[in-house]
Amino acid sequence: MILVALISLPFAVLALRRPVLRRLAVRNLARRPRETALVVLGSLLGTAIITSSMVVGDTLDASLRQGTRTQLGPIDELIATSGADEQATLAAALGELDAGDDRIDGVLALTALRVAASTPGPGGEVARAEPGATLVEVDFPAARAFGGEPAATGIEGPTPGPGRTVVGTDLAEELGVGPGDTVSVYAFGGQRDLVVDRVLDQRGIAGFTLAFGTSSPTLFVAPGTLADLGGPPAAPGAAPPSSFVAVSNQGDTLAGAEGTGAAVAAITEHLGSTPGGLATTKADREADAEEVGAQFSELFGSIGFFSVLAGVLLLVNIFVMLAQERKSEMGMLRAVGLRRAGLVGSFSLEGWMYALASAGLGAAVGIGIGRVVSGVAADIFGGQEATLELTFAADAASVESGFSTGFLIALVTVVLTSLSISRVNVIRAIRDLPEPPAPRTRLRSLVAGAVVVLAAGAWSATGIPAEDPFASLAGPVLVVAGLVPLLSRWVPRRPLVSVAAVAALAWGVTAFGVLPGAFAGAEIPVFVVQGIVLTAAAVALATQNQEALGAALRHLGRGRSMALRLGLAYPLARRFRTGMILAMYSLVVFTLVFIVVLSNLFASQIERFTEEVSGGFDLEVSSNDANPVPVDEVRARGDVGTVAALADAGAEFRTPRTGGEFERWFVTGIDEAFVEAGPTSLGDLGDYPDAGAAYRAVLDDPSLVIVSDFFLQGGGGPPEEALEPGEQITLRDPVSGQTRDLTIAALADSSFANVGAYISRSSLEELYGPRAVANRLLVAGAPETDPEVLAGELDATYLANGADAETFRELVATNLASQTQFFRLMQGYLALGLVVGIAGLGVVMVRAVRERRRQVGVLRALGYPSAAVRRAFLVESAFVAAEGILIGTALALASAWQIVGNDTFGDDLAFVVPWNEVALLAVATLVASLVATAIPAQQASRIRPALALRLAD
Amino acid sequence: MPDGPSPHPEGPAPAILTATAVRKTYRTGAESVLALDDIDLRVAAGEFLAVMGPSGSGKTTLLNCLSGLDDIDAGSVDLGGESIHEMTDARRTRHRARTMGFIFQSFNLIPVFSAVENVELPLLLAGVSPKESRRRAEESLERLGLGHRLRHRPPELSGGEQQRVTVARAIAGEPSIVWADEPTGNLDTETAGSVMELLGDLHRAGLTLILVTHDQAIGATAGRRIEVRDGRIVADRRQGTAA
Repeated sequence: MILVALISLPFAVLALRRPVLRRLAVRNLARRPRETALVVLGSLLGTAIITSSMVVGDTLDASLRQGTRTQLGPIDELIATSGADEQATLAAALGELDAGDDRIDGVLALTALRVAASTPGPGGEVARAEPGATLVEVDFPAARAFGGEPAATGIEGPTPGPGRTVVGTDLAEELGVGPGDTVSVYAFGGQRDLVVDRVLDQRGIAGFTLAFGTSSPTLFVAPGTLADLGGPPAAPGAAPPSSFVAVSNQGDTLAGAEGTGAAVAAITEHLGSTPGGLATTKADREADAEEVGAQFSELFGSIGFFSVLAGVLLLVNIFVMLAQERKSEMGMLRAVGLRRAGLVGSFSLEGWMYALASAGLGAAVGIGIGRVVSGVAADIFGGQEATLELTFAADAASVESGFSTGFLIALVTVVLTSLSISRVNVIRAIRDLPEPPAPRTRLRSLVAGAVVVLAAGAWSATGIPAEDPFASLAGPVLVVAGLVPLLSRWVPRRPLVSVAAVAALAWGVTAFGVLPGAFAGAEIPVFVVQGIVLTAAAVALATQNQEALGAALRHLGRGRSMALRLGLAYPLARRFRTGMILAMYSLVVFTLVFIVVLSNLFASQIERFTEEVSGGFDLEVSSNDANPVPVDEVRARGDVGTVAALADAGAEFRTPRTGGEFERWFVTGIDEAFVEAGPTSLGDLGDYPDAGAAYRAVLDDPSLVIVSDFFLQGGGGPPEEALEPGEQITLRDPVSGQTRDLTIAALADSSFANVGAYISRSSLEELYGPRAVANRLLVAGAPETDPEVLAGELDATYLANGADAETFRELVATNLASQTQFFRLMQGYLALGLVVGIAGLGVVMVRAVRERRRQVGVLRALGYPSAAVRRAFLVESAFVAAEGILIGTALALASAWQIVGNDTFGDDLAFVVPWNEVALLAVATLVASLVATAIPAQQASRIRPALALRLAD
Repeated sequence: MPDGPSPHPEGPAPAILTATAVRKTYRTGAESVLALDDIDLRVAAGEFLAVMGPSGSGKTTLLNCLSGLDDIDAGSVDLGGESIHEMTDARRTRHRARTMGFIFQSFNLIPVFSAVENVELPLLLAGVSPKESRRRAEESLERLGLGHRLRHRPPELSGGEQQRVTVARAIAGEPSIVWADEPTGNLDTETAGSVMELLGDLHRAGLTLILVTHDQAIGATAGRRIEVRDGRIVADRRQGTAA
């Protein structure tokens, strides 16, 4: 805001000290209120898009960060221990630290177990169930005192007695229970009925959960209850409860994470080493929230960039039109003594007011858009396993930043345009004479061209060998662009620009295939640059060859249609204006069509993806670690063919890409049956002849691992910096802290079902001990078995095990549906850019009507029917819009085809164009453009010839 | 060039235009200005009428109302046997396309059309085929000495050339009447003289010409002059010879 104030200062001073300029600017604004409103509308969208992308980030950040209050409270670090004994010892040791060190202010032992929970119906049957509940054993008085902030713990009342439980709100709502009701919990092959004492709000320790997401299906029991339920070794194949020692840092819930470093240092000093199972839970969660928020801001900011650019083009167009409209006024002002700087000042002052108004309104609109986008995004995520409860947030800093950025973009655009348009010849301006054609080669152009060629050449020469995607894509194009002014001395402009544009287009489309290394893992900004390169080249090509296109169209109309003739004449003659609108349309349509194609590309591959991820199985069954579905029992079923028992566990990995740090991910232990059934496909086989051989090597050699190319990656888009076969990584057990060095044997295709790292189950058991349990079964049904039916039966049979059976087809379909929804959201977001384009066309047409008032009057006097005037304006807008739509669509299809062909988004994806959707998009855009032109066209048709001519003469 | 009837020196020629009690008021906000006050006028076919008067007297308004470019508040205008203000807008527009030509002070050529395209415009509007329109437009321009400027757009032409294109456009459709509003107002004396010569030639060839001017010298070239003041015709004089 300070920057905005500083930049505004000269304008404010100008407005105060130069009343004439102020009057000019203000009265020009007030002169045409409707048009001023349209200009502000067109320009505010840029700010709105920037602000909304930040608000989306803020909201996701806040929503995820909300978990620190609702699910952690005073808990800052969690130290996983190997069992009750270690837990007790560690808690005692840290209790001493707590008493004598002010870096930590609480230590609490708590034990948790994933269980299935249900409520009985009237006949004793299961009425409602939650397969993924967390049973927490904790001493309530100790928990309430933990961290010195009782209210933040969420814990109230005494510890539930034997046979009793206290339930969190989320689970109470899920099961429909309240005080006095009975809840059954299932663990270690047994069932225990508990009576609900009370329900606690989701806050702090009361919201603690082992589940993912922001929901906390938790229930609390007295210490010792879990031991009564059994567990290993009495329940072989089940994982023991997770025992933790929680540490609260100095400071309250919000400030606690800031003391993480100091607290860890205190713990390390006190214990002599850092406990292997220590996790800086709150700080990690806050960092994750910040990262996710930033990723979403960047994602929406990047895709919204096209719309912002469209807004910039609109502003340039509007100011150039304003200058043309006021040409004679400008000439008069210059004639009566206003210097060029004064003209620039007047225009800039007007632009400053536009910029301030549009940035202010844009920031407000951006908050609204951000809210809508966040809501839709939350719905999409809500459809997946991890629910996300939305907490809308718009940081003042984000709104301020959106406002300032939008303001600066608008102001810089306006000032630069003002500098250009204020260069008028007084006499020519007064007499409204056309500017003489520019000399073919200006020294200034030659110098600029030479500088561009040299700079871009150097950039390309260094960037292409270094596989810099931006230099590889834009460098050669800029060299070609710089050559245009240099060669224009010898080569006529039209063929010169045409050849350069074709070359740029060809490079923009084929660069991904020619330099695959540079574009491997390309992020969204690279595609943004590609879009700009392609549209700029295509628009330059079209603009230079408009006459040929117009002649062809006129020929098609057989020269008879006056509306066609007149409607084409203006856009063909006003090349700059047409080029600006074309660029706006092409940019936005390019992105929209690209996203539509991409969205359908994945959505149409359901069978293929299912085949890839299923690896010869029909469905997968996840279950609770403490009560896994009995593998042998499932194998023995008549409707089941093969069963592979996989062990999924949380893990930490260090790779050459993680900078020496361990990052959290998943590890999966595979068994013989998994390999025998024909495992999931591999993207990079390493040194192995086929996928089976690679998996078998992993099975046989505990030092080998197979990871997906999405391993340790977050966010969207293609995988970036994937690891390669042969590279070394280290796996660490987050509980024991034990590590194992592994060599990457092969890379799995990224998919919905195999994002983990595969090692042999025996190897995992060696490292994790009894915590490595077969909690995910891959099941192939017997012949004639319907996988959907089998999944339903397994769910019902193994409810007590927390079984969640899902066919691979359904899994893929659900994920694809979420992906498609997300693409839809992006399309909606991008459509904002289309609003800019259409508003721009509307503004241009409104101004065109005013500008051509006299000409319309003449035409009407000559006998041109009013309906034909209306049609001519509609033809004009349809021509420009259709050309922009065609350019954008053609470029998007070419780029998508090229990118798919180069396997940027995965091997052998079939390129399918969703013609219906593309056609719908094109038609809707065209119709919207015609609607935007309908009013000005109608106004034009109502121009009374005598009035128009009288005003003119 | 029309092959219409020559002037009728022997007796009164049939009227091509008859205006009766024409009244026109302009309203601007609360104010209303009586621009034409009970105008009666009869113009014979082939006549060259100069409408004269000082600035603001109502000359252009008279031209607009008589040609049907503007509506009237009272009275009637009969043009070529048809009451133009009783026609619908669409019909009046077609009527204009078929029977009238216009020449304006500011030329008012369509800047995005070339000279030949501007001239063929009324022909196309009158329903002549594109090929024939182009042929006749080129012929007209060549006749007016603009054969070498056919493909030039108005901004590339001089003022005199632009006005000649306007004249060519006005006569290309072989109208029965041509309206000229200060056709030489934007031209230097020499160019103005040549344009007036051109109009004189057209009139001699049988064209009905109604010309608005405040220039006495230009007015003197017409066969008949009316003087308009405060929306009324205050003088109507026939001259011995028409230019």
